[in-house]
Order: sequence, then structure tokens, then C-alpha cells
Amino acid sequence: MTHHPNHGLTRSLNRIVETPAALEALVDAAIGPLGLHRFGHDHDHDGDEPASDVEADVLAAVRERAGEVHETLAHDHGVHCVEFAGSTGGGKTLLLERLIERAPDDERIGAIVGDVAGEDDATRLRQLGVRVENVNTGKECHLDPMLVSEAIESFELEELDTLYLENVGNMVCPADFPLGATCRVLVVSTTEGDDVVRKHPMLVQTADLVAINKVDLAEAVGTDVDRIRSDVETVAPGTPAFETDAKNDVGVDALADALEDGREHDHGEGDHHHDDRDETDHHHHESESAHRH
Amino acid sequence: MHELSVAMGIVERALGVAEDHGAERIERLTVELGSATHVNPDQLRFCIETATDGTPAAGATVEIERVAPLARCTCGWEGDPGTLEAAMVYAPDVRCPECGDRTELVRGRECRLAAVEFPDEASPTEGPRPG
Repeated sequence: MTHHPNHGLTRSLNRIVETPAALEALVDAAIGPLGLHRFGHDHDHDGDEPASDVEADVLAAVRERAGEVHETLAHDHGVHCVEFAGSTGGGKTLLLERLIERAPDDERIGAIVGDVAGEDDATRLRQLGVRVENVNTGKECHLDPMLVSEAIESFELEELDTLYLENVGNMVCPADFPLGATCRVLVVSTTEGDDVVRKHPMLVQTADLVAINKVDLAEAVGTDVDRIRSDVETVAPGTPAFETDAKNDVGVDALADALEDGREHDHGEGDHHHDDRDETDHHHHESESAHRH
Repeated sequence: MHELSVAMGIVERALGVAEDHGAERIERLTVELGSATHVNPDQLRFCIETATDGTPAAGATVEIERVAPLARCTCGWEGDPGTLEAAMVYAPDVRCPECGDRTELVRGRECRLAAVEFPDEASPTEGPRPG
């Protein structure tokens, strides 16, 4: 399971604890039978950032890694990175295919496709002439920024304009695991029922855009698309929702345009998203700016 | 669903601290777990206990403290975001009660190793190691 053991983190953790830990140990020895190391919330070590939280907090460390992926892709190489998350069978791959079909001939596109097993999705995208890295997560039910970080090493980033990430079909775990994309598109489909957004609120709150797919089937399956829309607004105010029918290629233009608007962020807005590092959800802060600034 | 990998991250950090203190055994681990995560506290405890097997933390008491979310708005409001009524499961209400804008969660999304306790005899008596 330790396929990404974060040795670097452990090393710097040791560094952080050394000086204060020795002091604490002396205090502990004087007042009690137990040695205790308590991590400070605002441990201003070295006077720069609240490093102790990122290093003691497993999920904050994940967000930090996602921030690094974003830095590498968007800021160092000008690659526009868009993630598709959503349940299995919701239409993530077909929407991706539709977007790739629309792309100008000179747009250089890559994709990282996560699945627990197999490479069906990767094969579909390769047929469109896209460079695809397939990531089989095995025991893990979601992509994480460490896996993405490894996968992007196989791309020549200077030669990419757009990188799509297709997450593992999962409506739960990706909420805790931002990947570092500029934009996370959450695909929900009418066949999942019109309560799908209310059942998975925290994932919806990490999305920058919601695509309500298979709208052509809404009536047949008795799903009220307006209810999904209003739930998105309740759960994650201000998140744009697009209605798509990827199979018949309906509604995809509007989604494609919104994603293109987000591309400008990668080149134009500097580093403001690092202002409140570790205090806020990195991914969200960064990616929100693609659409809200 | 991802408690095991999260637990392994926690245990790895705890073992690093123990090694740094020269401790041969860890007696207690305290983890602060934000409510606005999908990490299940009972499963996390089980996974930490499992992941410590055969390590200096084997048999340690695992304390999981829940951390309530705190939201902050650009309008200056800060407070408990409350719970979404429409949601079928717990989720913070991220709409600002003052101005209606979307708030940012500044607390409640953590899963952090808050404290590590070990037997007194293991506490280092020498000064900090060079590093």
C-alpha cells in the first residue's frame, strides 16, 4: 500500500520536531510520566508558513501536493488541466471524447485516465489520437495528486496545451483528494436520480462546474433536471451547471466554451492563490478563480 | 473508503516523531479529524490500529477528536457553517448567512496527527540532534 511513501514529508517532519520536541520532552519529564509531542496549530517554524499542519495533517499534505501539480502544469508549463469526476457510467469518457473531437487540430492534448482496473477508457481516448497515460489504482478508489504527479512525468509538458484527468468512477472519495487541475468538472447523469447532488454534497462542493449529462433520458427515468440544478445552487452556490447529452452531442458546446474561458486563468492571474496557503482548500481556491474572477 | 491510506500516513508521521524522540514505544496517538471530510472515524481508528501492528506504535491507544467546521466569508463573517438541510448526509452549508456569498472552510477538512505520547523513559535527555 505504501506506493507513495512521502519520504520528503517525513524528513521535513523530523526537522520540524527537533528543537521544540526536545524542549517539550524536558517539560514532560518534569511534570508527568509520559513523553508527549503535541503538534502546534500555528507553529511558526522558521517564520515562514504554518508548516507543521501540512506535515502532520495527511489531508492537508494531499492538498499541498495538488497545489504542486497545479504549479507544475499551469504555471511552469502553461498546460490547461481539467479533471472529470463522477460516478461510473455517468458519461465522463464520452464527454471527454466530445471535447477532444471539438478541439482545434493544433491543440496538443494529453489525458491521464484512472480506473481501478483495465484500460477501456484509455483505449477509447487513444483512438482519437490523444496521448494517454492509464493509471490503474488497484486498491485505491480514486486518483490522488501523488499518482497524477507520477503520471505527468511521462509527458513532454512543453508539448502539451491541455491535459485531461479522468478520475475513477466514485462520488465520495475525490472530495478529499483534489488533483491539482485548474478546473474540476463533476459529471452527474439523470440516470443517477434527481437526488444525486443531495446525496453527495461534499463532492459537489469541490467542483468548479457541474455537467448534468444524459438529459435526453431524464423523462424516461423520471428525473427532474431543474431539481438537480437547484440542488447544485443550494449545496455549492455559484457553481455553474450545464445540461449535456453527450451521446447525441447536445449541450457540449457551452461546456467547451466554459472550459476554454478557464484556460485564460493559467496564463494570466499570477500566484494569488498561494496567499492563504494551508488555511483554505487549495484546489478550490485555485480552481474557483478560473470561473469566478 | 480511503481510511487505510490516510491511517498509514498518520502512522508514518507518528513513527517519525517517536524515532526523533528516541522512543521505543508509542502509548497514545491523538488524531484531529474534521467533520467536513469523508474519513470515517471508527474505520480510521481500526485502520490505524491495524497499521501499527509490528511497529513501536503497536497497541497504542488511538484517540480521534472530531473538529467542527469553521467557515469564513470575504464579507468578514466567520462562524459555524451549519448543516445543509437538503443534504441526505452531513455537509456544511457554505452560503454566508450575512451576505449570501459562498464561504471558504478554514477548518473542518483536516486529518492531522495532533499528539503522540510515549513512555517517559524514552524521552530524550540530550539536546536536539544536528540536522
